[in-house]
Amino acid sequence: MEHPNDGLNNAELDALFAEYKAALPDREASANFMPQLWRKIETRQNTLFRMKRLTQYFVAAAAAICMLFATMMAVPRDEVNSSYVDVLAQAYPTENLASHGILLDEADTK
Amino acid sequence: MLVEFELIQKAQAGDGAAFNQVVVAYRKRILGTIARLIGRPEDVEDVAQEVFLRLYYSLDQLRTPEVFEPWLYRLTVNASYDYLRKQRRRNEARMSDLSEQQVMMADAAAGGRASSEEHRLKQVKDLVESLLGSVSEQDRILLTLKEVEGLSLKELEKIYRVNENALKVRLFRARQRVLNAFEAAHKGRTVKPVERKS
Repeated sequence: MEHPNDGLNNAELDALFAEYKAALPDREASANFMPQLWRKIETRQNTLFRMKRLTQYFVAAAAAICMLFATMMAVPRDEVNSSYVDVLAQAYPTENLASHGILLDEADTK
Repeated sequence: MLVEFELIQKAQAGDGAAFNQVVVAYRKRILGTIARLIGRPEDVEDVAQEVFLRLYYSLDQLRTPEVFEPWLYRLTVNASYDYLRKQRRRNEARMSDLSEQQVMMADAAAGGRASSEEHRLKQVKDLVESLLGSVSEQDRILLTLKEVEGLSLKELEKIYRVNENALKVRLFRARQRVLNAFEAAHKGRTVKPVERKS
């Protein structure tokens, strides 16, 4: 698969890559490599631990809120036993409607 | 393998000393590979530490110690790729065009006319990095692993998890792009960094 142009061909490219490896041989790590690595590991560990704890707090708070709402829903409340119309009827008995200028047909009163 | 399977298993079990030994055994090779993959000596240790950091937190996912090396290479490739992408985003202009001088030196390198060996290697390094800078990060990493690191297609199959034929096609295309980049520079045209999808 020779390259047909007048630039590099495949063999020259291979030679160039081989020389590139020679120009950049494997290298030794600096003295700080391992201490820095362990510092990074510990930093990430702490972050993960903090996130885990925050998640636990959040879950606990969400569970408490759920329980609170469930309790509020479970407790019966008197005011919700009667409808709006019932409350109105109770506040304005039929016999008092005349004083408000409302006259009922006989059929309604039966 | 540079270390025994038992050492990897101990490291997997959370033995810090065993993990240390694994890092010490592989760090020289990994540092060299990263240096050739990213081409920026000042950031090599940071990327290598990121590789070993990822290794530390994912070691428990390794089921069979036999695939440890390809797996470590995959971590290296991924960390280098992430670095190159960030770097590209940070400084688009760094992907330098091949200068006239580099083209001349490439001719010299190809023809063996360079004066001193050290100087010539420096020029070769600059040229190869410029050529690899003109192709995508994927092409750069694949070519470096195959042509510079000397990994076999079987090893690359394990790293990339694709079959040999697909790899051959990708390698061929990557080589063509490098050759085209050189040709474009040789003819005085500008070698532009490849367009990337965001």
